[in-house]
Amino acid sequence: MSASYAAVGWNRQKKIYDWLIFGFCILYLTTFISFTAIFNPEYTFETVLIRSASTLAVLMLHVILSIGPLSRINKKFLPLLYNRRHLGVTMFCIILVHSVFSIMQFHSLSNVNPFVSLFTSNTHFGSLADFPFQALGFFALIIFFLMAITSHDFWLHNLSPKVWKTLHMFVYLAYFLVVMHVMLGVIQYETNPAFIVIIVVGAVTLITLHLIAGTREVRKDNIVYKLNQDGFVMVCDVNDIIEDRAKVFCIDEERIAVFKTQGKLFAVNNVCKHQNGPIGEGKIVDGCITCPWHGYQYLPNNGQSPPPFKEKVCTYDVKLQDTKVWLNPKPYSEGTERPGAVIEM
Amino acid sequence: MKNEEFYIGWIGSAPDSFAAFIKKYILLLLLIVIVLGVLLSLSQKKFGTGNFEFGTLTQVKGIYFNKPVPNIKVINGKDIWGNANYITVPLIGFGKHGADGTIADIEKEKNISLNGKEVTLKGTLLYNDGKLLMQVDANDQPLVNAASATISADLLPKQKDLGVLDVKGEIVDPKCFFGVMKPGEGKPHKDCAIRCILGGIPPLLKVTDNERKQNYYLIVGPNGEKLNEAVQDFVATPVVLHAKAVKYDDWIVLYVNADNGIQHYSSIKDHYGSLYASCAADCLK
Repeated sequence: MSASYAAVGWNRQKKIYDWLIFGFCILYLTTFISFTAIFNPEYTFETVLIRSASTLAVLMLHVILSIGPLSRINKKFLPLLYNRRHLGVTMFCIILVHSVFSIMQFHSLSNVNPFVSLFTSNTHFGSLADFPFQALGFFALIIFFLMAITSHDFWLHNLSPKVWKTLHMFVYLAYFLVVMHVMLGVIQYETNPAFIVIIVVGAVTLITLHLIAGTREVRKDNIVYKLNQDGFVMVCDVNDIIEDRAKVFCIDEERIAVFKTQGKLFAVNNVCKHQNGPIGEGKIVDGCITCPWHGYQYLPNNGQSPPPFKEKVCTYDVKLQDTKVWLNPKPYSEGTERPGAVIEM
Repeated sequence: MKNEEFYIGWIGSAPDSFAAFIKKYILLLLLIVIVLGVLLSLSQKKFGTGNFEFGTLTQVKGIYFNKPVPNIKVINGKDIWGNANYITVPLIGFGKHGADGTIADIEKEKNISLNGKEVTLKGTLLYNDGKLLMQVDANDQPLVNAASATISADLLPKQKDLGVLDVKGEIVDPKCFFGVMKPGEGKPHKDCAIRCILGGIPPLLKVTDNERKQNYYLIVGPNGEKLNEAVQDFVATPVVLHAKAVKYDDWIVLYVNADNGIQHYSSIKDHYGSLYASCAADCLK
């Protein structure tokens, strides 16, 4: 969280994260290249570079896509989420190595421009066996490129979180394109079943993780709160909420987080202004609601980030009757001060 | 998880329970990275044994012929029966180009015709599986010497008509296949092979027999004309060619009518079809 833009807001955990990314990439590339050199000595360096980069990028893509659902299923994975964008940008750089070398190798030094060659050499778009798989990789590269260059809070704020998030959801389209790029390309050449088994296991793992995480969310969202009084809905017992934590309630398709802190209850919109993180899964730290994804903070009484920060979320009315918590789902405009509900001891 | 344990990225260190959990995950990832690195590298098909002497120029003396594809016939002594030992070296150009343009430029510049004359050419050799090719690049000043007189008739390529054949195989570009790229065949290399062939490199039919031995056939049109553009849709895919075959010294040339002489076929269907057919025949017995 910072009040001004810097290329990278370095801190200790980001440095550890990036050193691990670097170490893992070097380890994989070294392992792949050295084993190929030892057991397949007729190799050519450009081919082994193209292959090592592509397989590493596919592995990284699986790790990146699994972090989201894993963090939803188990909060202990949140440290992986914190700096996921560096993992994504690194993956793009690896993909770029694969792409540039592939275009140079397969399309350069010919009688047409390499990019024209990419789309005109093989035009069997109607055939699975002959499908021009390199075009699929090219479109995936464009998506990864757009994601990589906008992978900074400057673009997040200027594009708006909604547009930014929508753009970055295209990663799933890119993943599909990558899988098809592999299935219609190298899988049709290689005879060892390891390649297809790994791709299928990867896809099944990702789909399963997303289904588990998604099912949990949907189950929570589908809870119906029947007791209704003057626009207020009874949501839970006050003792169900842990001190300095919140419970999230989905009413009228809006997720609202009710926090309990210092003898009071406060309600704010559950969606963080940074990357749509689940504020309600955060904690009150130093008097501020702290988002679990990237540590963005908001004051519980007005939904405003403490100065000099400018993020604001909607606030809601909440009241107590005996020990029952009643919530009014009608939002106040972002940053509106609300008194909260005093918890009688 | 204790209530006070909460992860915030911008705080110096993660809570102990988070750090311990992530360390275990990182160890798992470490294992996955090593296992996948080893497994995928060992699962690759064996690289071909082709060789491209990149950066090394070699002078080759032989007789230049522009048909059926640009080549030089290199004669090296005689065998025990007194016949000339020779190898035919097809010529290819720089990058994804044929040699025709380079040779035509030389002929225009020197105002001579090289066809049927003894020449010394300088270029980059590539070779595999008993076949030798040479890349001639205009930047290398490839013509070292050219005789003024044409050679005697006994040195012309020996031709033998092999009749009309149906040959199953894969159309590749010989430059990549014999050494420049690994792999220089199959789906991953399809676009490159198409570009090479469209650039003028003569198409080649690679045929693998039942004993996994490979044979190679140069492809030209019915009258010896170039067939490069006509084969674009058939490159790097299983095809069957119906063609007149003629042996030119140590190469076989297929004269293919593009209208009806090239057809796709399914190697999988072909393989399993015959397998099922033989299985059914066994069952009937």
